[in-house]
Amino acid sequence: MEEEIKIKPVNRGKRPFFFDDPAIDQLIAIIMAMSGELSVLYDRVDTIERLLETNGGLKREDIEKFKPNQEIEGERNVRRNEYISRLFKIITDEKTNLTPHNEMKDYRNLMKDLDKT
Amino acid sequence: MVLQAEHNFLITGRHDEVNRQHYISRLRMHILKEIGGGMRKAFDPKKTEKLSGGENNLRKKVLKSNYGKFWSTMMVSCQDMVWESAIPPIERAQPELNKRISKQKNKFSKLFLNPDLKIPNYLTAVDIHRMPGSYHTERSKDDASQGALYDRGRFIYNAGQAGPFADGISRTMAEYISIKWPNFYPKKILELGCTIGTSTVPFVNKFKKSQVHAIDISAPLLRYGQARAEALEKKIYFHQMNAEHLEFNDGEFDLIFSCIMFHETSRKALPKILKECHRVLSKKGMMMHAELMPIKHLKDYDRFYMNWDAYYNNEPFYKTYTSLNPSELVLNAGFRKDSVFEIAIPDIDRSTKSEFNEAVSNPSVKVKKTGRVGEGVKWYTFGAWK
Repeated sequence: MEEEIKIKPVNRGKRPFFFDDPAIDQLIAIIMAMSGELSVLYDRVDTIERLLETNGGLKREDIEKFKPNQEIEGERNVRRNEYISRLFKIITDEKTNLTPHNEMKDYRNLMKDLDKT
Repeated sequence: MVLQAEHNFLITGRHDEVNRQHYISRLRMHILKEIGGGMRKAFDPKKTEKLSGGENNLRKKVLKSNYGKFWSTMMVSCQDMVWESAIPPIERAQPELNKRISKQKNKFSKLFLNPDLKIPNYLTAVDIHRMPGSYHTERSKDDASQGALYDRGRFIYNAGQAGPFADGISRTMAEYISIKWPNFYPKKILELGCTIGTSTVPFVNKFKKSQVHAIDISAPLLRYGQARAEALEKKIYFHQMNAEHLEFNDGEFDLIFSCIMFHETSRKALPKILKECHRVLSKKGMMMHAELMPIKHLKDYDRFYMNWDAYYNNEPFYKTYTSLNPSELVLNAGFRKDSVFEIAIPDIDRSTKSEFNEAVSNPSVKVKKTGRVGEGVKWYTFGAWK
């Protein structure tokens, strides 16, 4: 019997990290992978729902055979895009202006103002 | 996102695997457009142009920011996720896939391999694009697994933006040539660095009476490419060859083209390849190469953004390449000054007919965006007539 092929990096080199602590880069990679698994699960539920709706019942192999057409794929992509936007909102939201919790001067001043007026 | 066009040798995967691949495509687009778009706004070239003090300073500044850090680390992770999501189904499909590929008929396309060909260092020193095994790795006798990985992986990477056959750049070039020069009908066409022949097919389709040849250094990509061409019933002659030393006669080809190849060569290889183009081109023949935009046309932010790949996506010649002057290189290869051109062509799938025709009547290198998929992309090309 012929040996199975394993596809592995040959010369990928080192993985650059960008945050001061590489653990943050690793955590982001974990979150990205996990976000994918949840999306995959969602698609599986979607497949099951569609099969049940159409056929009234299903066998496990029906799920494997199910091939979304361009229209269903389009619907899934809308859902995927919205999901990704919600997930990574804190990075892209322009209004998000991260400030150290003890340096929120404007808000502290407002607290003082409202105490007086 | 369009679905990838299937053929007899395409390996996609099981239900969940395919959905994982499609998710990664969306994630990559989000990183490029939304997070990348936010990063661009935060470091708006209009505001920072004077303060940036050049591309290198700007890179340091961006990479010190959270935007730069998030965007960069997500780009690297996503790049690895692309390949990793394509691998398990291909591993499972082997060794049957290799057997099927080696047994398929040669009714339409032909394959000429050269087992003695030395793979140049610029393609072996790193896994280009972080793709495990780069272009050339063979894992068993008659192996084509790298072709299967490239076919599926590149589609996930592109998120289908180059069309169901992942051939957008090549279709753009073939269309442009046929409209711009209607009296030019090349009898014999050669593509350099054809990989699995996705970019070769549009020229077969456009120039139906021509004989089309395609070369690459990688045996596994060519094996897969020939089988793919056979499945699609396309007549292509595939040769395992180094473009620095073309094994063709002087004046043999009327048209030579390549799609985003030169930046994966080296400082010394590049002029050799252009000289070989000049040698094997016929009188009144033409060459046209799609490539990255030379850096001189870009502002600091775009320079940083484009060259990011050179540093972190295993593209070791990319930065040098974008600093070069293609027209000068073409002249040095022996072409006439009045025949050299540089044109940015609107992507055929993302431009209107009038935008495309405008580029035909008034060719220029002016672009808003180039080289990365997105809205309103133009492809930079350079070339010359012999």
